[in-house]
Amino acid sequence: MARTVTITVDGATIQTAEGSSVLDAALEAGICIPNLCHMPSVSPIGACRVCIVEVVDDGRRKMTASCTLGARDGMVVEAHSETVLRARRHIVELIVAEAPNSRAVQDLAARVGVTRSRYPMRDKHCVLCGRCVRVCDEVWQSKSLGFVGRGGDRHVALPFDKRPDLCKRCNSCVEVCPMTITPCPGPMAVPGICGLCESQTSMVENIPDTCVMCELGRGFQCARWQLRGLLAPA
Amino acid sequence: MGIRRWSRVSRLVEVSDLASCREGLTRERSAWPIRVTLSGGTCGEASGSTGVLKALTTQLHKDGLAEKVHVRVTGCQGFCQEEPLLIVEPLDVLYCNVKSEDVSEIVRESLVNGRVVERLCFVDGASGRTVQRPADLPFFAKQDRELIGHNQSIDPCDIGDYIANGGYSALAHVLTSMSPEAVIEEIRASGLRGRGGGGYPTARKWEQCREASGQERYVICNADEGDPGAYMDRGLLEGNPHSILEGMMIGAYAIGSNQGYVYVRNEYPLAVAHTREAIEQAWDLGLLGERILGTDFSFDVKVARGAGAFVCGESTALMASLEGQVGEPRSKDIHTVERGYLDRPTALNNVETWANVPRIISNGSAWFAGKGTDQSKGTKIFALTGHVKNTGLVEVEMGTTLREIIFDIGGGPQNGKQIKAVQTGGPSGGCLPAALFALPVDYEALSAAGSMMGSGGMVVMDDSACMVDVARYFLKFLKDESCGKCVPCRVGTDRMLEILADFAEGRGTMEQLDTLKDLAWAVGAGSLCALGKTAPNPVLSTLRYFHDEYEAHIRDRRCPAGVCRALARYVIDPDLCADCGQCVEACPHGAILEADVYQIDQTLCEQCGLCAETCVVGAISRV
Repeated sequence: MARTVTITVDGATIQTAEGSSVLDAALEAGICIPNLCHMPSVSPIGACRVCIVEVVDDGRRKMTASCTLGARDGMVVEAHSETVLRARRHIVELIVAEAPNSRAVQDLAARVGVTRSRYPMRDKHCVLCGRCVRVCDEVWQSKSLGFVGRGGDRHVALPFDKRPDLCKRCNSCVEVCPMTITPCPGPMAVPGICGLCESQTSMVENIPDTCVMCELGRGFQCARWQLRGLLAPA
Repeated sequence: MGIRRWSRVSRLVEVSDLASCREGLTRERSAWPIRVTLSGGTCGEASGSTGVLKALTTQLHKDGLAEKVHVRVTGCQGFCQEEPLLIVEPLDVLYCNVKSEDVSEIVRESLVNGRVVERLCFVDGASGRTVQRPADLPFFAKQDRELIGHNQSIDPCDIGDYIANGGYSALAHVLTSMSPEAVIEEIRASGLRGRGGGGYPTARKWEQCREASGQERYVICNADEGDPGAYMDRGLLEGNPHSILEGMMIGAYAIGSNQGYVYVRNEYPLAVAHTREAIEQAWDLGLLGERILGTDFSFDVKVARGAGAFVCGESTALMASLEGQVGEPRSKDIHTVERGYLDRPTALNNVETWANVPRIISNGSAWFAGKGTDQSKGTKIFALTGHVKNTGLVEVEMGTTLREIIFDIGGGPQNGKQIKAVQTGGPSGGCLPAALFALPVDYEALSAAGSMMGSGGMVVMDDSACMVDVARYFLKFLKDESCGKCVPCRVGTDRMLEILADFAEGRGTMEQLDTLKDLAWAVGAGSLCALGKTAPNPVLSTLRYFHDEYEAHIRDRRCPAGVCRALARYVIDPDLCADCGQCVEACPHGAILEADVYQIDQTLCEQCGLCAETCVVGAISRV
């Protein structure tokens, strides 16, 4: 039995197993920390930076991703401070401008209150969250997908661009991809983000910090939906 | 590689062997009646030191002096722009820019007749005086060359030189009379902080690593120096590799490690070769291996070569690369001193940090703590480059002002121009304006001003530099070198660059300027590793100190320094024009119209400037 530690997230005291991530602990307790590259059952990489939080230690604040942050006893975390919200919005704004036609990304934008992006839209089809790479490697032990290239050249590819025999055609990579969830006709034509998606959060002015079992989670396999066993059938 | 310049002496099995070995080596070295020192680091080789050495050896053999003259090839001595340097002792004279043609004259005059060849001596630009003695060089006079100064008396491929200069005595002292805790305490008392840029107290790092649980511990020397215009680590590793090895051994003893790695980039072939040679010679002498100097301490070092990724200078990316993984950083919520290389406690320090360690042990922590400012102790090496008269490696006491480095050591601006700014700390550092040149080099002072110490790059810019263009250049470097793992760094730097390109090409708006400020903050706040966290620094610091230049680019569509091509306009002054028509022929775009007077069609002009270069009467100017 793992040792239990007590952490504080947005003022709420949460007990969680030692070693579990702050993001998992918060989601489990109903505090919504929006996230994109995080996926239950595979290791976190901290790539999308949407789940960033501030760790308050001795009055000093340090910003870090909550998915890679292991819970330690007495840790004080702020997931919705002004600074965090500002940074998170800007990061989501960057992601939206990279892949405006993904419903998962649009929902994410609605969840954090981004209604427009100040950057020219590019339709990249991939935001390099690495969900496919990790599910292939860690769940199916197949390693058929990987990252290739550095910086702007980074992309997901098959080894030598050929489907290896190790690939079992399980289709998991497609299932977990945020770009393949109910493709949207696309706000590329409309200036800004349409905000007409199913997410209830786009209807309200003050976005709640707590989980409201939003459509974002449903469509995007949010850990909380999985925990409740309510995950929408694929 | 044929670089062994060392004849084997017998293995050192006890601590006392080291002293007797040193005695023999010193005697051997002082027996030479004439000594010639030629600098042959990367900068020296690039300036032709290999040819000079060849000519010198041939000439000495021809004149029958081979038995009388000791030729020592050293690493970079710091004064890179005057390489190759040649020092003749006991005449004590320094020759600059030596070419193979000069060798016969040097041998005849200086080695045989003991006269100085004046034409090869350094001429001080400021006073017009000829400098003969190396110690009198104005470039060296204001420096405190604790680390780099030794390069002059040490052949990096001869462990004998290092030992004769007191090398490995600190190690012997530590192994015989200090406990690991005492070593850490000594380093703590010295106030040594990481020279890679972060400035983390070295003793605290070692202590945390020592206390971390784990059977095996590692020490790593980070020599993956990738900043444009910075080469301090190369200078040290090429010129004095044993000082780094000795530092690592002392660190390993303090931490409780038996294995070290030198992670050096493959673009430094000489540094790789010299480090490997040094390790081999240390093995031969028994200074590496099992039971060093008869004590219980065993240690080995391996050289790992980096494949040229800038991000691999980041500690977690470096360790991933060392493990054979893709060199990408990971979250540092658990520090590398607890879980680093192979998930074991690892102490990673910069080349210069390691090189400082033996000197602190030999001279005492009080000696080191006596130099520098309150928070920053000792000396620091900077690579001074850019628009100054003297460039090279500059080692100064912490607390020296930027003005002293740029004007007194660097000799001030070239061609009577005005110095406008200095970029400290490499691409992730910041641009400081001339008004702030009274700032001391100190970790806190530089960070407060929006720059950073960094590993020690110092690029001086005069008024011909456009600060928007400078920010764009450094950002482009960082964008290309970003590993691409996290969004703020990969996408954020790209978007910042996009906005800067808009400014430089005359499409910018004031709203974009606000977006840029906001984005720069978000990238710094949200990125995964130090590369991303510091990537906005060039933008933030230029915005802070050169806001007017950004506004000129956006509001007036004008580049004050005349660098941004798209904003430049060429015009012909009809009063000066001699109607020769050469510009028409020179223009590749057919933009010059022949009417009553010659005129430039601005819609066709590509701002290449060929017409202005061709014009013999200077009638074409850039506005």
